[in-house]
Amino acid sequence: MTGLIPNLWQYRELVAALAWKNVAVRYKQSYMGILWAVLKPVVLVIIFVILRSIVGIDSGTIPYPVLTYCALTIWIFFQESASEGVNSVVGNTNLIRKIYFPREVFPLTSVVTKLVELCIGLVILAGLMAWYGMAPNWQMLWIPALVLYAILAALTIAFVGAALNVYYRDIAAALPVLLSLMMYMSPVIYPLQLVRDKLLVQHAGGDWSQALYLIFTLNPLAGLIDAFQNVTLRGLPPDAEAILPGLVLTLGLLPFSYLYFKRAEAYFADVI
Amino acid sequence: MPIIEVDHVTKEYRLGQLTSLKQSALNALNRLTGRPVEQREPFKALDDVTFSVEQGEVLGIIGHNGAGKSTLLKLLANISKPTDGRIAVRGKVAPLIEVGAGLVADLTGRENIYLNGAILGIPKAEIRRKFDEIVAFAELEQFIDTPIKRYSSGMQVRLGFAVATSVESDILIVDEVLAVGDLAFQRKCFDRMEDLIKFQGNTILVVSHNIRQIERMCKRVLLLDHGHLIADDDPKVVCDEFYARSQSKIAETSASKSAHRGRVESTGEIDLLEMSIEDANGKKLDQVTTGSTFSIHLRLRCHERAENITIGLGVHTTDFVYLTTHNSEITQSRVDLSAGDHDIYLRISHFPLLPGLYMWRMGITCGDTYRTAFYGENLLSISVLKPHQRHVPASMRDGFFALDGVWEFESHPESSVT
Repeated sequence: MTGLIPNLWQYRELVAALAWKNVAVRYKQSYMGILWAVLKPVVLVIIFVILRSIVGIDSGTIPYPVLTYCALTIWIFFQESASEGVNSVVGNTNLIRKIYFPREVFPLTSVVTKLVELCIGLVILAGLMAWYGMAPNWQMLWIPALVLYAILAALTIAFVGAALNVYYRDIAAALPVLLSLMMYMSPVIYPLQLVRDKLLVQHAGGDWSQALYLIFTLNPLAGLIDAFQNVTLRGLPPDAEAILPGLVLTLGLLPFSYLYFKRAEAYFADVI
Repeated sequence: MPIIEVDHVTKEYRLGQLTSLKQSALNALNRLTGRPVEQREPFKALDDVTFSVEQGEVLGIIGHNGAGKSTLLKLLANISKPTDGRIAVRGKVAPLIEVGAGLVADLTGRENIYLNGAILGIPKAEIRRKFDEIVAFAELEQFIDTPIKRYSSGMQVRLGFAVATSVESDILIVDEVLAVGDLAFQRKCFDRMEDLIKFQGNTILVVSHNIRQIERMCKRVLLLDHGHLIADDDPKVVCDEFYARSQSKIAETSASKSAHRGRVESTGEIDLLEMSIEDANGKKLDQVTTGSTFSIHLRLRCHERAENITIGLGVHTTDFVYLTTHNSEITQSRVDLSAGDHDIYLRISHFPLLPGLYMWRMGITCGDTYRTAFYGENLLSISVLKPHQRHVPASMRDGFFALDGVWEFESHPESSVT
């Protein structure tokens, strides 16, 4: 883990150049350009709004479209960083076989690439908030820290996933399924408040309620999405009880994920 | 202190497919319970290779396909790790393992220069400084803002080479790049590399199948064969060894196909039954000396009467540089051959080729239109030795032909001192 930070600094120009390439290549020769990045969350919000009109989801004082768009902004950033990170090593076979530089550059590049799209998503979110007459607040200063948390969570999956994917391409095939499963386990369509009410107030799980809530919040995205909605929409600080289990899990697993990646790295060129 | 040290390095690859998840799980279980694990057969791409390179040396690496050249470069460039042994590289390596690795088709030339520079580890400020120089070297001023997918392959290679050689590195690794581009650009590449060698003291490793190029550029050559380092010496010595080995390999493959050696085209009217080198008494030779006199004996079989034939006999190098040809029309007007077998001799006096290994080619034309009835290359090898009777300088191996000249020295002891 100690090697990551100096490497990151030494190869910052390379990461920046590769990320810029990813963005440039994706939107060259396309008329709408980077606006395509916005389309996915917008379509999902429309679907969720229609869904909500049928099943009814209590969004509290926050207008539902903003609440769910806010959740999708950070969720999609995490999901695409993780899945592109996992594919990044195999996707750069030609470079891996020809030129040496530390291979963590590839997953990192995927994350940095997605940061660009996240920024656009945040601009749209600000526009939506203005439309609904919601004022910005000081808690928004948490946003960089929360984005960093999302990066760490995505890298935890990306490092080990990318290394395994070199040996078994099953990983890349299975990942979209797992990630969409994870979305339903995360408070994207519904606010975390509903889960908390069910388990901690109504004790729907009986004696197991407290444990079930802990398990639910072990998912880093549960606490992250809730905190992101808190600081942008509700003007509240992150809820420590919701965010800590996932944060501890992420910080505990990330070093192992990275070490596995570094150990496998030496054989990438032979196996890929 | 050597800048590169390769110490008993072995690289193994496992043959066959990667094991399935199930097999891996079973293997892990077997390992845990101490039962024998099913192993795939290892393949040694490099086998116990040891050498070292000094700062500023230009080292050529040659060998057949699959000899382990590219594997060795990959290990030196840190792309792959040796299975056994140790590699120490003291300095920054600029790999040119493949020119244009990392060029992106959709980006323009300008964008690719910055991207490729970043991939090769050149700081952005440095690329900005060298940008004009790179563009000028690649001769792409006019197309620099065009996506490189519209470039010809030669233009892409020029761009790749221009960026790669602007890396400020201690060690440059060159893999088969000079085989591309037109002659003028190849010339430029040579000059650039010579500049790197002479003025910047770079260490250069070159892999090529163009042995002549290697012989000219390098001070020292390694010969790899099936993963073994079998020669590490002066370029001439190693290249000759390589030619000899190629030759025996060619001879082996042609022996198995006996009748057709090398490239032979025939209409079936005339067959070559036998071809040999003979001395004045008709004794068969397998080697001759420079300046000697001998004959080439052809035995031909005509299946039908052939009119107005000409025969051309020529010598080429093992890499098909045609050195000389002698046509029967020069000394003899066109002749007619009746159906049946014919013995034909080309008498050669003062054979001018310098020592080395050469091959014979032969062609027969028929009729007024010089229709080709038979043509073959690599038909017979001729090994030329240096004449043993007198002292021969080392430069005897520089070139192909003996130059028939006489030196005269006229001294003017008084006039120079004024």
